[in-house]
Amino acid sequence: MTRRQQYAAGAKAGAPVIFGFLPVAIAFAIAAAQAGMPAGETIGMSAFVFAGASQMMAVSMLMQGAGAGTIIFATFILNLRHLMMSTCIFHRMKDGPLPARLLVAFGITDESFALFMTQPEQHSSIWFFFGLISVTWSSWVGGTAIGAAVSGLLPPLLAASLGIALYAMFVVLLVPHVQHNSKLGLLAIATGLCNLLLSQLIAPSWALIVSTLVCAAIGAFWVEPDPEEEVL
Amino acid sequence: MRTQTLLLIAGMMLVTYLPRALPAAFLEKIRPGARAKRFLEMIPYTAMAALIFPGILSADPQHWYVGLLGGGMAALLAAKKVPVALCVLGAVGVVLVCNLLLPA
Repeated sequence: MTRRQQYAAGAKAGAPVIFGFLPVAIAFAIAAAQAGMPAGETIGMSAFVFAGASQMMAVSMLMQGAGAGTIIFATFILNLRHLMMSTCIFHRMKDGPLPARLLVAFGITDESFALFMTQPEQHSSIWFFFGLISVTWSSWVGGTAIGAAVSGLLPPLLAASLGIALYAMFVVLLVPHVQHNSKLGLLAIATGLCNLLLSQLIAPSWALIVSTLVCAAIGAFWVEPDPEEEVL
Repeated sequence: MRTQTLLLIAGMMLVTYLPRALPAAFLEKIRPGARAKRFLEMIPYTAMAALIFPGILSADPQHWYVGLLGGGMAALLAAKKVPVALCVLGAVGVVLVCNLLLPA
């Protein structure tokens, strides 16, 4: 396959992500507006950080009054998982000089990882991955811009009800994983309770980081791997 | 753009980009062990759980249970494999109805 064909195939493989990213990006932009962030900052964060869960986390931490340093540290913890995904992706990707690899590394997300690793062997080129992340990045940034544009036009009662959107998002991301793995479900409940307890004793943003790390460490020994994820 | 936000975005970008890019540069040297790999895999789940609870109780500043009702609706719809956007809309709908019925 030529580079152009690889790129097109990657972009096509990324198409389903558009429907996943658009609503999340819109919800993120609306939550960011409620946290007092101007549209330019919100879109800039999506364009340069490009990590949905940590952007959501940043917004909810901003609403709780957390400082930039704490948010950056929490982002680092949350996105450490990319280390593992990136290792798998670059083992699979055989071509591309180092500068090009460093460029496409920016596009590594849970979604691009899952899609790239489940493709047939002929789609393992850097151009395929580049096509894939062009689509995922554009839909994330585009969705954020749409959300930022509509956030000011909403009636106040609806705007007040959107505070739940962020939490609903996390619930929806979590449920499919805990549904068939009862130990993971119990771990999630324990993490929430641990966070509740700790947030009475220390600042909520630090309670979040500590309960995430401690419970992940417990989970590493206690929760069996999900058989479906072992494929990756 | 405010300086504070600029620093926040730059910092978040840096700490997110490093774990993405390091394996590209040092592929042979990064081989997390099985246990470290499990730990890294657990982080998104525990982070999401900690992000949901207890924060969801203050989704509605006046009534703590409104957030739980909305979250419960999202969980129910997600368990039924309803698309993400509709799950979120369902949760927003529940909270909207609560806001219409409950005194402010």
